[in-house]
Amino acid sequence: MTALRALVRKELAVLFGSPVAWLTLAAIGLVTALLFFDHLRVYNQILFLYASSTMGGFESDTVPAYVNLRDQVFLPVMETLALTLVGLVPLVTMGVFAEERARGTDELLATTLLTPNQIVAGKLIATYGFIALALGLSFVYPATSIVRSGLGLPHLLAVYLGLFGLGIALASVGVVCSAFTSSQLIAAISAYAIAFVLYDFRWMAQFLPDAAAQAIDPLSMHLRFGAFAEGLVRGADLAYFAGYVLVAFALCRLALDQARVR
Amino acid sequence: MRELAWLGAVALLASVGSFYTSSKFGFFGWANAVAGATALLAAFVLWLRRARGLGSPAARRMLMPSVFGVVAALVLAYGLERAADRANLVWDWTADDRYTLAPATREALAKLPAPLIATLYVEPGDNRARSTRLLLETLAEAGAGRVTRRERSLGESPEDVDRYQIESSNTVVLAMGERAETVVRPTEGTIFEGLRHLRADHGQVLYVARGEGEGDLQRGDDAGFLGLAEALKTEGFTVRELVTAAMSAVPADASVVLLVAPQRPLRAEAIAALESWLGRGGRLVALLEPGVDSGVEALLERWGFGLPDEVIVDPASGPVEGDAPGVNPIVFQYATHPATHGLDGTRMTFFRRTRPVLAQRKPEADDELRAVAFASRRSWLAPNAAAVQRGAAPEEPEERREDYWPVLAVGAFPRPGGETRIAVFGDADFASNRYLRALYNLDLLMNTIHWVAQREDEITLRPKTLTPDQYPLTPQQSLEMLFGVGLLIPELCVAAAAWTWVRRRGA
Amino acid sequence: MSNTIRRGAAIEVTALTRRFGDRPVLVDINLGIAAGESFGLLGANGAGKTTFIRLLTGYLVPSSGTVTVDGFSPISDARAVHERIGFVAETSRLYPELRVRGFLRFAGGVRGLSGAPLRDAVDRALARFTLEDVALRPIGNLSKGYQQRVNLAQAFLHDPALLIVDEPTAGLDPLQQAEVRRELREAAGARTVLLCTHDLSEARELATRVAVLSRGRLVACGPTAEILGSGDPLALFRGQEVGA
Repeated sequence: MTALRALVRKELAVLFGSPVAWLTLAAIGLVTALLFFDHLRVYNQILFLYASSTMGGFESDTVPAYVNLRDQVFLPVMETLALTLVGLVPLVTMGVFAEERARGTDELLATTLLTPNQIVAGKLIATYGFIALALGLSFVYPATSIVRSGLGLPHLLAVYLGLFGLGIALASVGVVCSAFTSSQLIAAISAYAIAFVLYDFRWMAQFLPDAAAQAIDPLSMHLRFGAFAEGLVRGADLAYFAGYVLVAFALCRLALDQARVR
Repeated sequence: MRELAWLGAVALLASVGSFYTSSKFGFFGWANAVAGATALLAAFVLWLRRARGLGSPAARRMLMPSVFGVVAALVLAYGLERAADRANLVWDWTADDRYTLAPATREALAKLPAPLIATLYVEPGDNRARSTRLLLETLAEAGAGRVTRRERSLGESPEDVDRYQIESSNTVVLAMGERAETVVRPTEGTIFEGLRHLRADHGQVLYVARGEGEGDLQRGDDAGFLGLAEALKTEGFTVRELVTAAMSAVPADASVVLLVAPQRPLRAEAIAALESWLGRGGRLVALLEPGVDSGVEALLERWGFGLPDEVIVDPASGPVEGDAPGVNPIVFQYATHPATHGLDGTRMTFFRRTRPVLAQRKPEADDELRAVAFASRRSWLAPNAAAVQRGAAPEEPEERREDYWPVLAVGAFPRPGGETRIAVFGDADFASNRYLRALYNLDLLMNTIHWVAQREDEITLRPKTLTPDQYPLTPQQSLEMLFGVGLLIPELCVAAAAWTWVRRRGA
Repeated sequence: MSNTIRRGAAIEVTALTRRFGDRPVLVDINLGIAAGESFGLLGANGAGKTTFIRLLTGYLVPSSGTVTVDGFSPISDARAVHERIGFVAETSRLYPELRVRGFLRFAGGVRGLSGAPLRDAVDRALARFTLEDVALRPIGNLSKGYQQRVNLAQAFLHDPALLIVDEPTAGLDPLQQAEVRRELREAAGARTVLLCTHDLSEARELATRVAVLSRGRLVACGPTAEILGSGDPLALFRGQEVGA
């Protein structure tokens, strides 16, 4: 465990020793903040328009049900944040193994007391920790608004749980891609390709029979994240995202072993 | 090999990306998909050839456990997900328990006489459908196999659009046998009403008195009672008009007679017809406003109801819509009775300028007569009812008596022709379009009517139609939070990025 | 750095062969390195030296044959082997983002050190290799000479019984080269040292026995003076087998 802890600390130190990680955090936080504010501004305008006496007054039930903080502000921002993760996470994960291999420092790791399983676990833990930090930082601003408006923190937590699951899944894909190459560019591009394929299977419905399209739909990340975005935490969705961790671990271990017998 | 794999991935990415930008697969998408798949396949074949070199015993010993590990991980992941799905572990963290079905909905699903098919009609890209899908999943789960959910694209179902008169995306059609109900804005509440519509046999006829300025059940504005008419139909009644001006007897098929705030005295013949009908086991629900003498008050007094022409003033209730404080009591005190089923201190009802309705004296020993809904203990009666109705402030009487003044009283009176049931409300505004769906007004009124009609199995607390919170945040508040928190953290991260970059350049 | 090791680790290589696909990189290598010996592995670029090291550390798996360190296989007994190994790779194999002290703490941590023993080991290493002045500087900002000192320092943190040094003076200027060789000489002690180099003078200076690889085959093995002292040592690099 000492060796594993040391590896995790090193991974985070290397990650944050690069401007890319900080800029990724800034981008996620900025996207959340600006989108949230913009949607909030428009929502306020609509609301006060309905609240004016010419529209019957705020108490007169003339405000349509769909004009509310959740549907007009909260959910659109979270959808965009989910897509932002799809765009940014591969940039964070592309170097996890690939950069190590390109530098030759993987050979250094191989001479330590770290087992291959620990190497994989340490890198995955550090990557997931970064995702959690990025989401945690972006959580602060919406949480302030939500608590102030009285909508309820549990729903917000459900959304961020879904975002974390989505981030985990994307990070798992990215780390696996990084494990099979020494080129960060290839790792990033392949991670994008796989992430876009897995994100939403609507594109497959174009040329699959209805039954087949419905069968593979539960594999899509977007569908699984969607339930969290609606405030519903389902065990099956949690298991789905946890499955990415399991498979990523196994694939990364395969990549390390394959490199040793190539 | 790697170059081929890379090119294949790029082509596939372009193909999928083209779908997202145009929502369909065109030539560009297809060409890239084919090229990408071909390149990836070629890379895989090359890898296989190269992997033959991995055939040494040592390599096999090293790789086989890892390969099995991948297979095991896939199986385990799939198994975990399936097991979790079967276990149906679901936590509803929405602010309004949107996906936790009310007992009434579960009861309605359990009482389905035939299998139900719930079809969602949606246009691609309609994000509202996600919430509806989850709701339908929840309903299907609770329906124990009797509820099937489907989804159809709106554009590809023109026949259904005509047949079910679907006007917008995110519409649910509930079909049970030959009957179908279109739910326009699907929420648990509207779907519940749709289920009741489907189940309703409309066997019982409810007559609504007309002719003396009563509330108009065909008016759709705030002061009208169209919502009440719709709710009665949803609850399974056939609603008909009873023109009291020409009435000599209550129709034989009447289950219930409903009086909604007559503004002028009923003709003597109408009063006599009502009294005769009640004496033979008739059933009456009266919504009577203060400041009006309709002649029904005297009839009701003969059945033991006291209806002083005063207005309840409840200091515990604040001013509403410009009225004087206290003349619009929020009621949260209820006696235990089927009419007040489920109502308590957290499920309140709202009345507007209401008169007290007292249970004074049972006509006969076996009769039951009770007040069942009360204003707060601090409420008192203002004598200038007519003036208060016109907007004046309530006058305080010389001797102000504070008490739990009742707004609803009910009575059951066994008679030779059957059991007479009467319910009297001291207000009609609470049932108007403006207020019927406020708080739990609908539940109180409908449950009372069901009790009067001896349909106790229909008494329930109805799921709320969605009214999400609409707490406004002022632009100033939003701006404060943006600069105070929203931009500060990204700014610090950018500063850290710059510092890291400078440090790496060896400044 | 204290020479606390009482004895080095012995290396035994039997019929070791490694192929990359159909291309043989090492063919039927038989070699024994005694505990405490300073052994040089020579060869031109591409001769197979680095592959040999990778097989020894377990980074690669042999196609056939065996290699053991003190009787332990780097494949099946990886932990036992890695406890005994300190590895000095080429200078580029460090983490430029990490500060020197932070990197050494990491290197010690992944070798099982923690708490006070780790702090002490890092402090000793910083002192031993004259890195105290640059302890808080990012490795990427150091000169090649300092980076190689960091490289050496991390290999000694856990007092290894076997020190594997791969091209330790590659890319260094003559002064830096002399300094590194001095460090190695002083730090060797009772350790087994396996030095991989294509620099003959370095081999003469640091190794008591050498082996020469040419195109994956062992073409010479014996005392340094004997193998490199007479004739045309470069002929060995061309693949002409001499001695055993």
